[in-house]
Amino acid sequence: MDRLREEKIQKFEEFVDRRLKPDLVRAIAERDKVFEQQKVFSDLRKNLENLEKNSITSLRSMVNLGSEVYAQAEVPDTRHIFVDVGLGFHVELTWSEALKIIPAREERLARQIEEYTRLIAQIKAQIKMVSQGIRELLQLPEE
Amino acid sequence: MVKGTVTSLSSIFAPDDALKASVHVQEVISQRQKEVQQLQAFLNDNTSLVNLLKKLPDQLHHDIMVPFGKAAFFPGKLIHTNEFMVLLGEGYYAERTSKQTVEILKRRGKGLDSQIESLNAVIKDLKFETSFFDETATEAAEGIVEIREDYVEEAFDEDKATTSGQDDFASILSRIDQLEKEELESELAEEGEEKDEADIEPEFRNLEIKESLDIPVYRDSHIKVPTPSGSNTPMRPVDHNISKEGLSRAPMSRDEVEVSTLASTSSSSNVSSKTRVAASSSSNASSKTSVAASGSSNASSKTSVAASMSKEVSNFGSRSSNDKAFTGSIVERTHNIENSQKGQTSAPASKPVSRFKLQRK
Repeated sequence: MDRLREEKIQKFEEFVDRRLKPDLVRAIAERDKVFEQQKVFSDLRKNLENLEKNSITSLRSMVNLGSEVYAQAEVPDTRHIFVDVGLGFHVELTWSEALKIIPAREERLARQIEEYTRLIAQIKAQIKMVSQGIRELLQLPEE
Repeated sequence: MVKGTVTSLSSIFAPDDALKASVHVQEVISQRQKEVQQLQAFLNDNTSLVNLLKKLPDQLHHDIMVPFGKAAFFPGKLIHTNEFMVLLGEGYYAERTSKQTVEILKRRGKGLDSQIESLNAVIKDLKFETSFFDETATEAAEGIVEIREDYVEEAFDEDKATTSGQDDFASILSRIDQLEKEELESELAEEGEEKDEADIEPEFRNLEIKESLDIPVYRDSHIKVPTPSGSNTPMRPVDHNISKEGLSRAPMSRDEVEVSTLASTSSSSNVSSKTRVAASSSSNASSKTSVAASGSSNASSKTSVAASMSKEVSNFGSRSSNDKAFTGSIVERTHNIENSQKGQTSAPASKPVSRFKLQRK
């Protein structure tokens, strides 16, 4: 009887360690990625709003050519901006149009994040359940 | 009958352990290889950047898409196409022209290169390790055994042994003595022939030229030499010679000092005679070149001693104007000892004694 129990306990522990925990780690990583994307777009939105507020028509910036070598660049006309809409496409938009789609993009990202959060919560719950089961199995013999 | 022990390889190196070790080392190898690949990628980026930097100043402006954050672009132009800002690290930037930046990047590339090389060397060593482990694993699995037997030395000739059997050192010394004996005999036979260039062996030429230089007594010292039996005996012939010629005590003491510091025996006598010659300019030439010649082969204690001795000689002797570069052979002499020495380049290789006689100049 004890042997059986010990084997079961071992199987449960293995299940937790090999399946659930890596799943959890992966889900968290994916969610972090989406978080970053979201941050990028929110920054973009803020900057665009800034530009519009100060009516900045041209700007100068430093472009990274690779390996942290920068070259000066000038944007003479900031009216048109190319926004990444996924799958490698960039759409040429005016400010107002851009300011319309960027929030939409952000919303989509927020929904993705929520999904990931649910998944993570699920996995965590599963881990808790299995460890509870193991504890029960361990406690019964002691009683 | 020779006794021996038989040990099975598998008892020393368990095949399983060897395999495990081999696997482990292979993992480390793959890690290092990844690092090498990463460095290689950096290097490639570097080269492409260098090419880009070379082409940019060709135009006043370049039409580009200027990134605005990570997800948007502005159409714009690259201006000031010859000015670049390079990150030097720790938040320090340097504004440089295209050419200067290219140089910076090239230097960085060199550093990457050396890193890659060292990593490759490490990988090579690790590969040897794995192959070794694999081999031992297979051998142990096959049941190869290791057989050890005690080595019984053969009794060597009594003629050759001077000091009582002290492995290589004594045998070298005895060999040197033998060679000197032979040369002495032949030299005595050659005595009285032409003084200058002859087609005789270097040692004889040396002796005869010494005679022409009016440096006495070498033959005497040489005669005395072949009877060494310990580090003290050479002192006697040297002393003898000096008292014979009435040379000053000062060089002698130097000789003595040097001799006592030297390990080899018969060589010291030659060297001490060399010190006497140190006064004359030609000797320095010879000693220096002999330093060069003997410096290359330190196999026998004698030649190394000769080298150290000749160095000391040149130190306190007057430094002649011998600034010939060492080309691996004794080729050129500055003064009197002209062509005769040239032929000696190849000879000294096998006979340590002959180099000695060279150095006696």
